[in-house]
Amino acid sequence: MNPSGEGRVTSTADIDAAASPRENTRFKDKKDETVISVSGLTPSAARYSRLFDVLVVAAVVTIFAGAIHLHVMLTVGDWDMYVDWKDRQYWPLVMPVSMIMFPAALQAIFWVNFRLPIGATVGATVLLIATWIGRYANWWIWTGFPFTEGVPSQALAGALLMDMTLIVLRNSLFTSIIGGFAFGFVFWPSNYSALAPFYLPVEHQGMVASLADMIGYTFPRSNMPEYLRIIERGTLRTFGSSVSWVSAAFAGFICIFMHQLWWRLGLFASQATFLKNSDVVKSFMGIKSSVAS
Amino acid sequence: MLLKLIKFAAVCVAFIAGVSHAAAHGERAQEPYLRTRTVQFYDVHFSKTDVKVNERFELTGKFRLMQDWPDAVTPPDIVFLSSISPGPTIARVETYLNGEPARQSFAGLELGRDYEFRMVLEGRTPGSSHIHPSISIKGSGPLVGPGQWVNISGEAHSFAFPIKTMTGLQIEDLQTFGLAHAVGWHLAWLAVAAAWLSFWLARPLILPRWLVLQKGREDLLISLRDTGAGIIVAAIVLVMVFGGYVRASAEYPYNVPLQSGLNRVAPLPASPAYVEIKVISATYDVPGRSMRLATQITNKGSEPLSIGELTTANIRFLNQSLPVAMADVDPSYPRDLIARTGLKLSSDTPINPGETKEVRVEATDAVWELERLVSFLTDVDSKFGGLLLLYAPNGERVIAEMGGPIVPVFTELK
Ligand SMILES: [Cu+2]
Repeated sequence: MNPSGEGRVTSTADIDAAASPRENTRFKDKKDETVISVSGLTPSAARYSRLFDVLVVAAVVTIFAGAIHLHVMLTVGDWDMYVDWKDRQYWPLVMPVSMIMFPAALQAIFWVNFRLPIGATVGATVLLIATWIGRYANWWIWTGFPFTEGVPSQALAGALLMDMTLIVLRNSLFTSIIGGFAFGFVFWPSNYSALAPFYLPVEHQGMVASLADMIGYTFPRSNMPEYLRIIERGTLRTFGSSVSWVSAAFAGFICIFMHQLWWRLGLFASQATFLKNSDVVKSFMGIKSSVAS
Repeated sequence: MLLKLIKFAAVCVAFIAGVSHAAAHGERAQEPYLRTRTVQFYDVHFSKTDVKVNERFELTGKFRLMQDWPDAVTPPDIVFLSSISPGPTIARVETYLNGEPARQSFAGLELGRDYEFRMVLEGRTPGSSHIHPSISIKGSGPLVGPGQWVNISGEAHSFAFPIKTMTGLQIEDLQTFGLAHAVGWHLAWLAVAAAWLSFWLARPLILPRWLVLQKGREDLLISLRDTGAGIIVAAIVLVMVFGGYVRASAEYPYNVPLQSGLNRVAPLPASPAYVEIKVISATYDVPGRSMRLATQITNKGSEPLSIGELTTANIRFLNQSLPVAMADVDPSYPRDLIARTGLKLSSDTPINPGETKEVRVEATDAVWELERLVSFLTDVDSKFGGLLLLYAPNGERVIAEMGGPIVPVFTELK
């Protein structure tokens, strides 16, 4: 027993003894109280579990903001870095297919273990925050690019729809088919609303350019030149001005499989598994004094 | 201990401060074969080296695409005329290649031919910026021209880039236009996400939910009310997505997609082919920092020609005894790229029409080391290239490509 009631705690009964009945939990809702009582957590353990919640939220935000941002930068990189890369064919195809991966994995982890329909929204939110931090720190402070050149896209619309599909249908396969498709499909329209002003036409040197093209041209990236942009090559071009909707539908189709794959990867990665140590390893670790035989 | 920390901090600050002023941006790190055997820049001129924020200046010049293009470098099939600067410290206003608008890439440039470029640039970020012209080649990357320090004075915040759209909209500044609109949408989406997340984060989260789930009481965790909330949020999202799209399409009916077509451009008229240079032997004296060439030059033209300059990798070795060659040095050309000792010739007399003359050419200067051009010693093909500039008495200039295998000499020559 710890007479001061502080510090070392050996059982939850100790905490209960120390806690006053009125401040057992912070939840006002009756349902939440029921969850606590059914969980079997003593009131004080529940209070500590709330502290644990805060720590988990902090860890999820920092770790996944970094991880998802890195992942998107590595897989689609330039397509989202510059405003004059946000073309109507490959951008709406490549971006959501890559952006769905971590949100799908988080969705699985949060849903299967905790029945929380928030994983995709968490992933897309921390990605957007991390992206803006990156644009501010790297593009503006460090290299002095105007914000317009590095304005990012968002995956929140699709992520929200994916979480809504999950809570309504409560099934990973249907979430892949409907939510995953929605994630890919709404990427183009939901980002076009935000970026439409950048596609206004300008005449420059006797040629037509979009404002996005003008921004990329005016503020030079030392040899990140426009010839590297992969824009409207291949047969999708034949769809003309409807090409973005074809891309959006195709992105949705790919996202169905991406969602299911990353849902499974998320579950696989969040398993707690144990490997049986051999006697040799045990002796190295001091668990066993010496190797028999 | 504290003193040590202060000392360490002082060293760090000094290092960072020193680097930020001394560093250019890695042009010397490019392999010598890229710089001596691909694009040779000449006649490069900076109209100003001191500009104010928002003040325009021009960067003009010519370049020759070398005939002996190395195998390791993709030929100039898709080419973009660009400038190199430490970030967008300058704004690009207009660019031209042989008078053609160069806002897009060009297809199919020809080896052995010359091209002329003109870039209209504008000061943006105050400070000293190392500015180069550059030719970016798909598959090969940027091949840079001579870099000059341009001092930009004034206030950073006074820079603005106004532009008028074809729909008649006058935009005050390309740096900020459309940003508030995009950020507004992002904030709107974040607000919906925050509402959904706080709806769940306000409840018991990780441990209690996991324990309840283990006990098979899923019914306590997701209620009908939650499903209803999900349906409402889904409806809001769909209205935002498609309503926003319809509104944006109505507001901007004349939008165009990103443009990326390739243009074509004819090279400058071929320079007179009446000088033929045969390199009999070429050596690079490592301890002496000297390139020595034994050449056989044939003048097939009608005017006597004097050798005025050897240029390679933007470095100029000038025949200092030939006034016309010296007069060809633009005052704006970076001084650190002009070899002080110049070009030594075995004979200064002109090569007469019809004559074939053996001339030994010596280019000695520490600049070979400074510009890190001696690593051709470690190249797999150990070749060099460059342009020889010859002048006729009537002022005509003939530019001839020369090059071939080069043999390093590691011990002092006797
Ligand atoms: Cu430089």
